[in-house]
Amino acid sequence: MTDPWTDRLSELVDGDLDPATAAAAEAHVTECAACAGIVAELRAVARRAQELRDRGPARDLWPGIAARVERQETVTSLARWKGLRKRRVVFSVPQLAAAGIALLVVSAGAVWLAIGSGAPSPTPGTAPAVVVSAPPSLTMAGYEPAVRELELVLAEHRDRLDTATVRVIEESLATIDRAIAEAVAALGEDPANPYLTGHLATAMRRKLDVLQQAAALAATSS
Amino acid sequence: MSLSRDVDSRTDVDDVRRAAGGDTAAFERLYRAQVGRIHSLARRMVGEEDADDATQEIFIRAWNKLDTFRGDAAFGTWLHRLGINFLLGWRTSRGRDRERLRQNEVALDTAPARRSDAALRLDFESAIGRLPDGAREVFVLHDIEGFKHREIARMLGVTEGTTKAQLHRARMALRQYLER
Repeated sequence: MTDPWTDRLSELVDGDLDPATAAAAEAHVTECAACAGIVAELRAVARRAQELRDRGPARDLWPGIAARVERQETVTSLARWKGLRKRRVVFSVPQLAAAGIALLVVSAGAVWLAIGSGAPSPTPGTAPAVVVSAPPSLTMAGYEPAVRELELVLAEHRDRLDTATVRVIEESLATIDRAIAEAVAALGEDPANPYLTGHLATAMRRKLDVLQQAAALAATSS
Repeated sequence: MSLSRDVDSRTDVDDVRRAAGGDTAAFERLYRAQVGRIHSLARRMVGEEDADDATQEIFIRAWNKLDTFRGDAAFGTWLHRLGINFLLGWRTSRGRDRERLRQNEVALDTAPARRSDAALRLDFESAIGRLPDGAREVFVLHDIEGFKHREIARMLGVTEGTTKAQLHRARMALRQYLER
């Protein structure tokens, strides 16, 4: 280990020495069996490194990534909505009337949802709640008509929204729909799973939130 | 082979465009295609224990940066570079000191001088994971990923002399774990 060339042998293997130093190192290696052995092993290590094969994780990491991506996407979309809603808007009387109708439909949808899910009626001024412990089929019974009503309001006033806004709405709804479909599929295999039930309820509530905001914005946009 | 790569590349570009628009199914396809490479890189750079977390963080970061992907290089190349940058920061973010890159000979010196039965049982990849941080990073980047000393020195903020010394020490330690 006291051989002064030992520490330069990787550079010799890689061709990183200048020509004069490389020639001197080569001359030494031809006469030094120990250094010749090390050079052969260093080459073998470098070759072995090139032969390593990629190997994926032992468990599937996608569900964790997907959950975070979906959460971010929804938060981003809602943040955009909140930004849009903070804009100062001057309403005409017909627009205010339309907004009133939209809010009525939203409220009706919320009550419909609550009744359909068997939950206690929401108190005035509070957000509609989805009962997490309710079986999905009961929740869906009130949820789907409420969603349809809101989608009708949105469709009716859709042309008042600009293309970028419509795209944000569609993307958000598509993302949430996928989350709902996945949760429903998972519940098909594990119907009593409280986490999946809660996840489904959250996704459904999120869809209602987005639809409510979209319908209200569409109704009040000129 | 090149035709297949071209097709893969076009598919990736389409999926990147869709994913950038919020399509998580497209992003999942990109994930499935790249996870083996990224997880292997993470495992070798930060170790088995942190590899899953690091891999997830890399893909989340990629999702957030998809709109910066210009398509100049293949998506896999872009993601790989993003992964390396992230993993180099990982060690720092975990409170470790870059100074260890220059002064971490102790762990190498504790490696067995001769192959023992235990060493024989340890496969080459596991042995890479037992290298000290600095030597492992340089070895992975140079001998596995194919970067040049100049590039590695720039990435790590050290001199080329340091990266050459670290590479040599890593190789010297790994000689004992070669299958024969």
